[in-house]
Amino acid sequence: MSASTSILNRARPGLDPPSEQRRRRRRRTALDTIAGYSFLGPNLVLIGLFLFVPVGWAFGLSFQRTNGFGAGEFVGLDNYARLVGDRIFWQSALNTGLFTLLVVPLSMGLGLGLAVLMNSVLPARGLFRTIIVLPMVISGVATALIATLIFDQSKGVLNKLLGATGLDAVPWQSGGAAAMLSVVLATVWWRVGFNMIIYLAGLQAIEPELYESARLDGAGPWNQFRYITVPMVGPSTFFLLVMNIIYSFHVFDIVYVLTGGGPGYATSVLVTYAYQNGFVTRDQGYAAAIGMVLLVLTLVLTALQWRFSRTRDQVG
Amino acid sequence: MDLSRRKFLGVAGTVGGVAALSSCGGFGTSKTAGKSAELTFTTWGTDAELTAFKRAIASFETANAGAKVTLKVAPYAEMFTNIDAQLQSGTAPDVFRVTYSNIGVYAGRKQLLDLSPYFDAAAGARFTDQMWAAVKYDGAPYGVPHHTDTSTILYNKRAFAAAGITSVPDTLESAWTWEEFDQIATRLRGHLPDDRYPFAYNWQGGGITRWLSWLFQADGRLLGKDLKSPAISSDAGRAAVDFTKSFFPRRLVPQNNSVKSPTYASDLFFSETAAMVFAGTFLLPDAVSLAPFEFGATFSPRNKRGGADLGGNPLVATAGTTKPGLAAKFLAFMTQEDTMLDFCVASSLLPTLKSLVGKDLPFKARPDLAKFFVQQASNVQPQDAAQVASPGMDAIKEVLRNQLEQAFIGGQSTDATLAGISDGISRATAR
Repeated sequence: MSASTSILNRARPGLDPPSEQRRRRRRRTALDTIAGYSFLGPNLVLIGLFLFVPVGWAFGLSFQRTNGFGAGEFVGLDNYARLVGDRIFWQSALNTGLFTLLVVPLSMGLGLGLAVLMNSVLPARGLFRTIIVLPMVISGVATALIATLIFDQSKGVLNKLLGATGLDAVPWQSGGAAAMLSVVLATVWWRVGFNMIIYLAGLQAIEPELYESARLDGAGPWNQFRYITVPMVGPSTFFLLVMNIIYSFHVFDIVYVLTGGGPGYATSVLVTYAYQNGFVTRDQGYAAAIGMVLLVLTLVLTALQWRFSRTRDQVG
Repeated sequence: MDLSRRKFLGVAGTVGGVAALSSCGGFGTSKTAGKSAELTFTTWGTDAELTAFKRAIASFETANAGAKVTLKVAPYAEMFTNIDAQLQSGTAPDVFRVTYSNIGVYAGRKQLLDLSPYFDAAAGARFTDQMWAAVKYDGAPYGVPHHTDTSTILYNKRAFAAAGITSVPDTLESAWTWEEFDQIATRLRGHLPDDRYPFAYNWQGGGITRWLSWLFQADGRLLGKDLKSPAISSDAGRAAVDFTKSFFPRRLVPQNNSVKSPTYASDLFFSETAAMVFAGTFLLPDAVSLAPFEFGATFSPRNKRGGADLGGNPLVATAGTTKPGLAAKFLAFMTQEDTMLDFCVASSLLPTLKSLVGKDLPFKARPDLAKFFVQQASNVQPQDAAQVASPGMDAIKEVLRNQLEQAFIGGQSTDATLAGISDGISRATAR
C-alpha cells in the first residue's frame, strides 16, 4: 500500500481508515492472486496435460505387459526386474553416461572459450558469432543428416579429406569407438553455440573494473581468466551444466539418424533403446520402465547439482 | 499489481482461447463417422505413387456417386507410429497402407477388418497364390495385395567389363548359384581398387526381412508351421548365416553395409562404391537419374531353390471402421485390373493379379529391366510369404537385426547367432 493512498483515506470523512485499509488490502491481495493464477493457468494446464499426465500414464504402463492395443496385463515389477538382467539396457545406460561425460565438458569448455574470444576485440565478431550460433536454429534431425554426409564411411567428406592427405579412413559407421566419436562431435557442433550465447551473456555482466584492478595488481591473461572470469560466470556454468546433462541424458535424434544405435549397440542410448522397445517391437510396458529409470536418473542428477550450486550461485 | 476487470477478462479470454485452440489444433478425430459415404485413407508414398493414388481415388468417387475418400499422407518413418497411436486412441483412418510383414502384427491384435464377407474364394483366386497367402491371418484375409516388389541385382556395366565379366544370367533358371555368385564377387574384388567393393545388400532400415531370401534359397525356414516356434537352427540356417557373414571379412561388401548402417545399399551403388546392388523395382527411377554409369540387371542367386523377398504393400481396413462395406468396396476398386496396372506402371512396382503377372509392364524408367523383377517375384513361395507376414514379425525383425549385426561386424559365431535368433523368436512370440 502506498503512502499517498493512506493520506487519501485519512482525508475522507466518515470512514474507519484502518478497517478500510484492511479491506482494500484483502481485495488487492485477492486480485493479485487471481492475476497470478491467470498467468500461470495456461502453462499449468499445458504442463499438466502434456507432461504430468503422460509421465503418470507411463508410470502406470511400466507395471504392465502391453503392446499398446487393448488392455495391458498387470505384471507388477517384472519389467523392472527384466531391466536388471538386460545386457543391452546396461550397455545403453553406459553409453548414455559416456556420451554425457564427453559432450558436457566439451561443449561447455568450447562454449566458454568461444564466448571469451567473441567478447574480446575481434574483427568481424558479429559474423563469427552468427556462424557459431547457426547450428542452434537447425533441428537435431537436420544436424544429423548433415553429419551423415560428413561421417559417411565410404563417401563422406571427412574420410575423403583423410584419404587426400594420405591417412587411413576412419570406420565411422562400422567401428564402435569411431561411431560414438562421430555422435559426440556432431552433438558438440550443434550445442556449442547455445553454450557460447549463455556464457557471452554472463561475461558481459562482469564489471570491466575487476579486470582493470587485476591487471594493476599484475595478473596476466590466464590468471584473469582463472580468478575472475571462471568464478564470475558461475551461475551461467550452473545453468548450462543442468541443461547439458538433461539434454545428454535425453539425446535421441542425432543418434537415431546418424548411427541408429549401431554398429552393434555401440551408440545405443537409453532413449533410442526405449524407442526401439516401445515403437518398433511394441513392448510398451518395458519401454515405459526404461523411461521411468531415465526420469529418476535425471531428477537425482539435477537435485545433486541444485544442492552443489547454492554456493556457486552466490559467487556471481 | 494493479488488475482492472477489463484486464482480468482479457487474461481469462486468453486462457479460454488457448483451451479452445487446443481442441481444434489437430486433436480431433480423423474418422468420418457421421458421413456414411466418406472414407479416410492414410498412406506414405513417392510423388509418383501419391499421384497414382489420387487418380484412383478420383475414379472411385466418379464410379460411386456420393462417395468421398480423404487421402492423408504420412512420412514412411512415422507412418506406423502414427497409425499405432491412432488405433489406440480410436482415431484411426478407415483404410491404410501396410507392409506384408505388418499384416499379421495388426490382424493378430484384432485391429484389422476381417474381409472374408467381402472377398470370397473366387475374389481371392484373382491374386497370385503367394500374395493372397501373404494377406491372410489365421485363414482369413485381412487386406488386399495392392502391389508387390522384390529385389534383383543391378550391376555397373563398366565395372563388370573391367573385371572381364561379359555376360550375366538372363533367365530365372540360369540365375547364378551361390558358388557362381561368390566367384563373380571374388573376381570383382580382385579387379576393384581398395575403396570399392563387389556388391552391397539392401538389408538396412526396414529391409531386414530381405536377409530371409538367403535362408529361403537354402531351403530353410525362419518359423515352424505354427508361425511361432523358431526353425532357423538347421543346416539351411547355418549355411545362410555362414555365407552372408563371410561377405564382411572377405571385403565383398563395404564394412558400412551391415544391417544397422544408416547408409543405404543403393547409395553405395550410385556412388560407385559397390559394383552390384540388390535393389527393388521402386529404385529404377532413382537409378536412372542418380547412377552416372550404364547399368543392367540380373537375377538374385539361388542355392537349393530360388528365393526372393516379399516387398510391396497391401491395403487394409481398420476393425473399428464405421463403414466396412464402403471400405471393402474401395479395396476392391483399388485392386481392379486397370487401377492396379495404372498404379504399378506409374510407380515402377509389380502387380499382384494373375491376369497382369504375365503382361509387359511399360515402366517409365528402364522398362527393359521389368522382366527381371517380374520373374524374380515368382520365386516368392506361399510358405515364405506366410512367415514374413506372421503376427510376431515386428519383434522378430528386431531380433534378426540385432543378431545379424553382431554376426556381420561384431564377430559373433554362427552357432551363437542361430541360438540368439531362436531365443529371441521364442521370447517375442511368447509375449
